[in-house]
Amino acid sequence: MAGLQTIINKCNAISIDRRKVAGIQFTRNEIPRVSLTPTKNPWRFTLKMPASLSYYTNRDLLEALDTMDVVSPEIITFSDNACLSWIFKYQGQLSLTQRNQITVQSFVGNQLVLTNLPIVSSGTVMVEPNDVIQLGNYPYPFTSTTRITRGLGSTVTVTTNRPNILTVNVIGLGITVGNACEWNMFCPNMPTYTLVPGAYTRANGTVVNNALIEFSNDFQLYEFVGTA
Amino acid sequence: MSTSIPAVANNKANVTSAEFVQLVIYNNYLPTDAGNLTVGQEYIIKTTGNTAWTTLGATSNVSGTIFTANANVANTSGTADEIEYLSFSSAYTNETIGGNVYTPLGGLLNVGVQQRSIRVSSADTSISISGVSGNNIYEILESQGQIRGSLVKIFRGFYNNNMVLSNAVLRFTGIVTNYGISEEREDRLDNYTITIDCSSYKSVLENRIAGRKTNKKSWQFFDSTDSSMNNVTSLAGFTFDFGVDPKTRTTIPSAGNGASAGGAGGKVGPRGIQRD
Repeated sequence: MAGLQTIINKCNAISIDRRKVAGIQFTRNEIPRVSLTPTKNPWRFTLKMPASLSYYTNRDLLEALDTMDVVSPEIITFSDNACLSWIFKYQGQLSLTQRNQITVQSFVGNQLVLTNLPIVSSGTVMVEPNDVIQLGNYPYPFTSTTRITRGLGSTVTVTTNRPNILTVNVIGLGITVGNACEWNMFCPNMPTYTLVPGAYTRANGTVVNNALIEFSNDFQLYEFVGTA
Repeated sequence: MSTSIPAVANNKANVTSAEFVQLVIYNNYLPTDAGNLTVGQEYIIKTTGNTAWTTLGATSNVSGTIFTANANVANTSGTADEIEYLSFSSAYTNETIGGNVYTPLGGLLNVGVQQRSIRVSSADTSISISGVSGNNIYEILESQGQIRGSLVKIFRGFYNNNMVLSNAVLRFTGIVTNYGISEEREDRLDNYTITIDCSSYKSVLENRIAGRKTNKKSWQFFDSTDSSMNNVTSLAGFTFDFGVDPKTRTTIPSAGNGASAGGAGGKVGPRGIQRD
């Protein structure tokens, strides 16, 4: 069982943090001066879990989390079940077939240039702000910071939320957008759990002992960018 | 007439920058014979011997010449020291400055403050590297302490709005004077940190002892036939009042036998006569 994917599927709430590393100073006349560090700018999700998970039916989840511990990453997605698929849903106007023909021409800094564009009207929206874009099978998604329309040229340039952190050659890679994108995450704080007796259940006609799983903390997932 | 002071950094409200560090380690404990040079590796000639270094990629046969080996030759007596470059940065990706590729070392924690003065300053700085896996510690220990004395260059690279490195400025040049490895274990978290202390060239020059002492031994170290200082020992302790009769005569017990030779630059005796 995929531990972190199950946590995402069953969590009560998700906090998303992908802010940059920045320092701000205010001058004497209150003009702000910003100093930015060009990091890999990883995604961070904080998942709040309900206290209603049954021990009897989730022992495989506990084993997966204990095996994973704080060291192993796992690839997760938000298209895993119908209840979550609205998160990061694609907002543009291209069909899946049209999106599948698009490839990367270059990706330098935060300027992602796409080519092999579909034949659609120039005003067709390709991506909206906050649309997630994944290159090839590399689970390190970027977001578009602006609305991008098809235009008349052979390429379009997407300004992404973070610079190109991939160490592989991205030229010619296809793209995935929306909730089909994947994240390579690990959980540095991996909460421990307490079994609170209760929620007795019936199996094969007999009542069996059971407990509710109470996690010690929220799950703080951190993008594993070391292998990007 | 009044003149406005321009805004900070050309009125840039947003500055994106990263640190780039280069260590140049001279492997002078294990010199390589001319017959064992690795093609493509950079070396510095240690002993010239009878090796024709210019045929191996060097621009001259003089000791101290840095070159990239394009061949090796057996049965000659010259040796060279291997030069290893460690280049790393706090940037998000590989960047090239001056032909050197700086890898985005995730373990680079901190580059210390470098004092900037109008006058040449001798302020030191430090670099902290953390490696949970211990790889960085391996790199340092593998050098068998040779990292001490390595050349250190620290650049500050500036990015444009598209997160592309637009320029880089050299802000510190010095040598590694010391390194320390610390391990902190708290609960189940293990943290290794390597701290590299760096001194600027000015500090190195300030502490350098060079030149010759005004005694026979030191003088003849360079030229065994030089007799200029042969009589200095017999003059030590004498007071010279040039132009008048001597009024006092001082005898300094430790002077005269050269026993204190080797001191840091010698001492200046009465009336500016330097004694052994």
